[in-house]
Amino acid sequence: MVKKLYKLGLVVSLGMFLFVLFSDIHNLDRTSKNYLSEHYISEGVQETGAINLVTSVLYDYRAFDTLGEATVLLTAATILAFLVPVTKADMLGTTFTIIVYQATKYLIPFIAVLGVYVIMFGHLSPGGGFVGGVVMALIPILLSLTYGIDFSEYKLTPNTKKVVEDIGAIGFILLGLLAVLTGNNFLANGQAGFPLGNAGELISAGLIPYLNVMIGIKVGAGLAIIFNSLMKEQ
Amino acid sequence: MELPFVVVTILFCLGIYTIITQKNLIKIVLGFTIVESSLILIFVLVSYQPGGTAPILDKAYHLVVDPIPQALALTSIVIGGSVTAVMLALVIKIQKRYRTLNVDKLRKLKG
Repeated sequence: MVKKLYKLGLVVSLGMFLFVLFSDIHNLDRTSKNYLSEHYISEGVQETGAINLVTSVLYDYRAFDTLGEATVLLTAATILAFLVPVTKADMLGTTFTIIVYQATKYLIPFIAVLGVYVIMFGHLSPGGGFVGGVVMALIPILLSLTYGIDFSEYKLTPNTKKVVEDIGAIGFILLGLLAVLTGNNFLANGQAGFPLGNAGELISAGLIPYLNVMIGIKVGAGLAIIFNSLMKEQ
Repeated sequence: MELPFVVVTILFCLGIYTIITQKNLIKIVLGFTIVESSLILIFVLVSYQPGGTAPILDKAYHLVVDPIPQALALTSIVIGGSVTAVMLALVIKIQKRYRTLNVDKLRKLKG
């Protein structure tokens, strides 16, 4: 009882501290000039060619940050593949009616189209490589859930997914090294002289759509590996 | 005006309370995800401006919110998902080896 009260008091004091902290964040001087974001908003479209400013921050100004983020996902997928070593796959004991199977069969092409659209239009509309990759990862997940994990791994073997994920990771780094070949910084886009095109068109913004594709296939394959590894445990 | 920050504080404290009081490992992982979602809400609140639109400059815009917290929130979501997956895999390993999820019974080393 005393222990519980002690924990409760600890949490309440943490809450009071956090409330003071968050109120300070709230009362920050909003009228002062915020040079970094002002620069992104006023110059971002001319400098990167992408009209989605979040994408221009993620894949141009802070692309190195995105590389680290993708590395975290790659590491998680690798750890899961090592930590949960399963030689025998677990069959889900449930069988569905024919409606579920047919609906899944007809749903998968639409999911693929939606995922490719979200990835390819990442620099023009909300979305991008990460979101589109999650949508693409739904395809093997749906196959595993309805048809069973054996069929899913027969269609897309774990080695295939691993190779696709490695292609995404290596392709991102190679695209970044393209900028080094022209004598600029790693992952430079506009400064390296890649053609930016007209802002708002599909083929524009230099390297950004290709980086989006690489991140998309990498995130999709990584999430599929993570889901299947967690589900296969017997 | 201060209400969103109160909600975020309560969510954060709920997550921490879950982590330090619960005995079940799955519930502890749930506590971690609650803390993480409260931090994502902080990102949303920091970049909020009344009347602002999303930072996509495709048509006439009046006021655009700050794009940097949104990019950081994306980073936080991806890393949070990866960390949660690794934590769940470790929980699976613990369950297979010790046949229990209670942290009090995991004290003694085995083998």
